[in-house]
Amino acid sequence: MDEMKRKLLLEAGIDVDEALGRFLGNEALMMKFLLRFPEDQNFSRLRQSVAQGDAAGAFEAAHTLKGVAGNLSMGTLFRQISAQVEDLRAGNVAAAADKMPALEETYSRTLAALQQLV
Amino acid sequence: MCDPREETLLIVDDEEINRAILANIFEKEYAIIQAEDGQAGLRAIEIHCDMLSAILLDVVMPHVNGMEVLRKLYQQGLTEKIPVFLITADAATSTMQEAYSLGVMDVILKPVVPYVVRRRVNSVVELFRARRRLGAEVERQRDQLLLQTQQMAEMSMGMVEALSTAIEFRSDESGEHVRRIHDITCHLLRTTSLGEGLTDDQIRLIGVGAVTHDVGKISIPDAVLNKRGRLTPEEFELMKTHTVKGAELLSRIPQMREHSSYQYAYDIALHHHERWDGGGYPHHLVGDETPIWTQVVSLADVYDALVSKRCYKDAFAADVAMEMILDGQCGVFNPRLLACFRRAEPVLRGLYQPLKGT
Repeated sequence: MDEMKRKLLLEAGIDVDEALGRFLGNEALMMKFLLRFPEDQNFSRLRQSVAQGDAAGAFEAAHTLKGVAGNLSMGTLFRQISAQVEDLRAGNVAAAADKMPALEETYSRTLAALQQLV
Repeated sequence: MCDPREETLLIVDDEEINRAILANIFEKEYAIIQAEDGQAGLRAIEIHCDMLSAILLDVVMPHVNGMEVLRKLYQQGLTEKIPVFLITADAATSTMQEAYSLGVMDVILKPVVPYVVRRRVNSVVELFRARRRLGAEVERQRDQLLLQTQQMAEMSMGMVEALSTAIEFRSDESGEHVRRIHDITCHLLRTTSLGEGLTDDQIRLIGVGAVTHDVGKISIPDAVLNKRGRLTPEEFELMKTHTVKGAELLSRIPQMREHSSYQYAYDIALHHHERWDGGGYPHHLVGDETPIWTQVVSLADVYDALVSKRCYKDAFAADVAMEMILDGQCGVFNPRLLACFRRAEPVLRGLYQPLKGT
């Protein structure tokens, strides 16, 4: 992987080595899923469900997002979304809503970095 | 033995990225089948269940989730045949507990660490493979043992027949007599109500006992055994001792005594000349004091003697023999035994066809 790309990914909060390890060094496969991340509808579903107080819908979206973030080694995003998943599992939409601003910020930063890769 | 089937792994997960990562880890060693939710997973399992080496199962999925899939597999007993791994992002203890109680082999946390998941899955797959191999080996050995046991049984039956036939030869009777007594006895016990309460195995052992009914004749001098014409009262008394002598002989052969047919063989040798009214010998038993299977051998013996040529008589036609038996000319038999014998007799005649044709 070229240094430029690596730097960009690190800036996006992605532990590149760990993620590549998970794909057993298959960079093309990893990139396929990284570049698809911005199109993932789960973040907007989460935002909307939390705003509407729909705990079940929010949980489903957060859970899926957590899986993808974990697989792609998006460390900060993964930690934040994990905490939110636990709030939503307990049905606590208010706590999840409190965590939304910080999550939004991390998410936008990640997207911005990924968009530069395209 | 090398299994010609390719090792196949089923991945059930609704997230493409999860399936891709797992497939990427295992595709060098396994053929991979992917299912996008629990429903598709169950379908794939139904189709491929004989060739699956392992199932990697996600928990949270739409429609049918992983736990529901697991419960179905458990109910069908499939978790014992195919190792199931739960791949989950949530290490909630209640889920894990239920999963293990439903026969899951291991719970692996997401996001997965490739070398960990590979090692854990491969170890269990190897364990199941070894277990299958061992099971097949045990089965093969069991078949072999059964075959050997059967050969041994045939061999000892052969020895018993050889001994009995050798003794028959002394009285100028062919080995056919022994064989026919065996066949008539087994036929009556198997196909008529006389055999009620007896298992196939018991009837087989009674058949062995029928073969040795006359071994006591070894102790009877040739002059008496092969006398052409009527025996004197003294000679007849001597002849009668073949029953007691036969039982004694059997009881003195340890291999015979330990054989499962011994209890039948002993009684048959001793009491095959008893009669229903107490008019037989040596103990003048009355009615069912003589076990029904010994009574069957007695009648078979009489019938065969009548329709065969002996040193002291010619062969009677089967109809005549039947009449003589029913008339009580050969002693009194159990009426129930006679009724069954009468019905079976046309079939029994078939045993003699080859001889008559010559």
